Amino acid sequence: MSTEAADEPGEPATARGSVGVELGRRPLFYAVLGPFWAWLVVRWVHDWVLAPELNVTARETFFPTASLVAAGTTLRGAGAPAPVAGLLDWLAGGMDFVALGVEALPQLAAGAWATIVLTVVSILAGLVLAVPLSVARVYGGRAARYPALAVTELIRGTPLLAQLFVLYFGLGLTQYVREVPGVGVAVLPDTAVVVALIGFTINSAAYQSEYIRSALLSVDSGQLTAGRAIGLSKVDAIRHVVLPQGLRFAIPGWSNELVYLIKYSSLASFITVRELFFRAEEIGNATYRFVEVYTVAALFYIALVISASAVMSYVEGRVAIPGLGGKGRR
Amino acid sequence: MTTVVALAVGEVGLGVVLQAGDWAFVLRNAEFLLLGAGITVALTLTSVLLGLLAGLPAGIIEVYGSGAVVGAVSRLGVLFRGTPLLVILAFTFFVNPVNVGAFEAATLGLGLRSAAYQSQIFRGAIQSVSEGQMEAARSVGMSQVEAIRHVIVPQALRRSIPGFQNEFTIVLKDTSVAFFIGLAELLTRGFNLFTQTGQSTAILEVVLAVSLVYFVLTVATNQGLDYLGRRFAVPDSGGER
Amino acid sequence: MSLLRFEDVRQSYGAEEVLRGISFEMDRGDVEVVIGPSGSGKSTMLRCVNRLTEVDAGTIYLDGEAITTPDTDVNDLRRRVGMVFQDFNLFAHRTALGNVTLGLEEVLDYPREEARTEAMAQLERVGLADQADSYPAELSGGQKQRVGIARALAMDPELMLFDEPTSALDPELIGDVLAVMRDLAEEGMTMLCVTHEMGFARSAASTVSFLDGGQVVERGPPARLFESPANERTGEFLERLTSLHGGEQ
Repeated sequence: MSTEAADEPGEPATARGSVGVELGRRPLFYAVLGPFWAWLVVRWVHDWVLAPELNVTARETFFPTASLVAAGTTLRGAGAPAPVAGLLDWLAGGMDFVALGVEALPQLAAGAWATIVLTVVSILAGLVLAVPLSVARVYGGRAARYPALAVTELIRGTPLLAQLFVLYFGLGLTQYVREVPGVGVAVLPDTAVVVALIGFTINSAAYQSEYIRSALLSVDSGQLTAGRAIGLSKVDAIRHVVLPQGLRFAIPGWSNELVYLIKYSSLASFITVRELFFRAEEIGNATYRFVEVYTVAALFYIALVISASAVMSYVEGRVAIPGLGGKGRR
Repeated sequence: MTTVVALAVGEVGLGVVLQAGDWAFVLRNAEFLLLGAGITVALTLTSVLLGLLAGLPAGIIEVYGSGAVVGAVSRLGVLFRGTPLLVILAFTFFVNPVNVGAFEAATLGLGLRSAAYQSQIFRGAIQSVSEGQMEAARSVGMSQVEAIRHVIVPQALRRSIPGFQNEFTIVLKDTSVAFFIGLAELLTRGFNLFTQTGQSTAILEVVLAVSLVYFVLTVATNQGLDYLGRRFAVPDSGGER
Repeated sequence: MSLLRFEDVRQSYGAEEVLRGISFEMDRGDVEVVIGPSGSGKSTMLRCVNRLTEVDAGTIYLDGEAITTPDTDVNDLRRRVGMVFQDFNLFAHRTALGNVTLGLEEVLDYPREEARTEAMAQLERVGLADQADSYPAELSGGQKQRVGIARALAMDPELMLFDEPTSALDPELIGDVLAVMRDLAEEGMTMLCVTHEMGFARSAASTVSFLDGGQVVERGPPARLFESPANERTGEFLERLTSLHGGEQ
């Protein structure tokens, strides 16, 4: 009953696949990402602090588009001869495209916040669950190993969207979450977000535990023995000797997981979470300008994914220990 | 399977009552759901195949190509790997200027995204074949294309089986996202069942049944590809050196 | 006319000059053994002949025809020149027989059955007909190398290049490979061998070259070169080699 692909330690058998962007010496990326984040932060601060009473859809963009739209209209009405008119039309179309994209920005910024919250909270909460799960798989007795195996295999063997449906529609978790004090108050996430967080956390815990498990297996077994030999208990030896090494091995897998969660958090839109994709779809439905708004949404996701990869490769470099895993590893 | 039931039974404490009548509802609609499973399997196969047809050449180009072609291929790859499947499907179905059905749009979206990942699997596998293999092939007079075709690719394909297996199950699970464009695959059919009027008590049963079918399909896929891996295995001492 | 001729061949790897003007020629049926310290350019010199490495200046002639020009058909050149690698480089996904038939079928367009017959004959020649269906991972190092030789011979080459064919082998496995090489030499195959097997050089080589710093320092018949090296560096190198390998085989 195994859904494992391959069992060799060190093989990213259960990887969700990495994006494969090497950022190191690509200033162009930073030239785009820097302003993007600066704008996002200013936007968030502005919307929460300066104009908190304003509904998301009523928010105005920082970059007025009236002149763009006007220029487009002028170009169309210029009445130039045929070939030139075609070119002008095309130019005007481009200006409309940019104008609509820019007008969507405030709502997408609000969506991006939800996406980031979903991703960061569930990967961290998932990690908290994943460490004991993986330790149980590797070092536990039968009573610990098999339940841990069953949980990870069941979760990794079914679609995330089906899991969200189980929690949201099947178990109707919202009715319980609603009772929890504080949910939905002020900046705290509302019920649907909490249900999504529960779903992503459980799902991510299963995948992360696989990464950590294969990383633990790739730590030389002599390390545990040596830990025991200096008088540490098994738990202490795992905690102080094996885990610090294994978790470093798990970083590449962890980066993949982060990227995966950024993208798959879009599935929360099906259970009414107003994250990035939900906002984009909403604007699209209101304006029928799907190309523009989905293009801008795609750019948002790519910016988030590339930023995440950059942060993770920085982290990987920072915690690297000479001779131990790190960048040399696949 | 027992675990799924145990999981479900465990939830009784939360106040959700699993009624025999609701499972009977699932059983009455088993055929409807299994047809959906058929579509899920078909969509998985077409998408993985498209992914293979586009991903293998892309992987080869990333290793052996040069200049602008490599740049274009790897940029396209980042685009497809960096965008959520939902956005990709929005483009292939809603934005697509060519009017295609939901199945074709889903195949296109899942397939191209899979190609972007498969290209990385094959690229890694090709790079893991030692350089000496290429030199030896060139030394008996084969052209680069012949060497890639007869020496590098056969070895790389074998080495990419674990990654391919992983990718296959990811595609299988992600076919559920085609719910978004209304394709009547397994999850969509489950959703349509429990949103029928008067069936709101059977929601959990339906979703669990649907999940179970996915689980069985995932396990079967892995077992099948494991068998395939063994069937085509070649004694290998971990890379000819 | 000589079969192989180097004319002032130069080759650099980055800023480092690996070959600094190599000139020599060998006739059909000659067995040339090249010795020299590591980094002296021996392998590079060999690889220039079938253009796995490109020369920067100078010309190499095969059978009177320049083969280092841009319009040389490299694939045809490599068919005419067989190469045996230090680390075997057997095609890991094919049996011993499959390693030999691949070139026959794909390069020489042999029909499958004829390729099989010819390949079996070559495996017979190196004493491995009984291992035809084994995969490389199932063969010993010595057996792998003999398959490598059979694979090169099957293309009916005019010249064979041996790039340290025995240095990746355990000592007890070297003998079989050297025996096959001796047989080849006696059959009249033209061979250019980088090897430090002094016994082989003594008994089979027509000429020995000592390469150092990318140049041929000294060249001559084995008996002369080994007994009374004219150059001081040759002498020193031979002394170290003998003390390392324990002299005669």
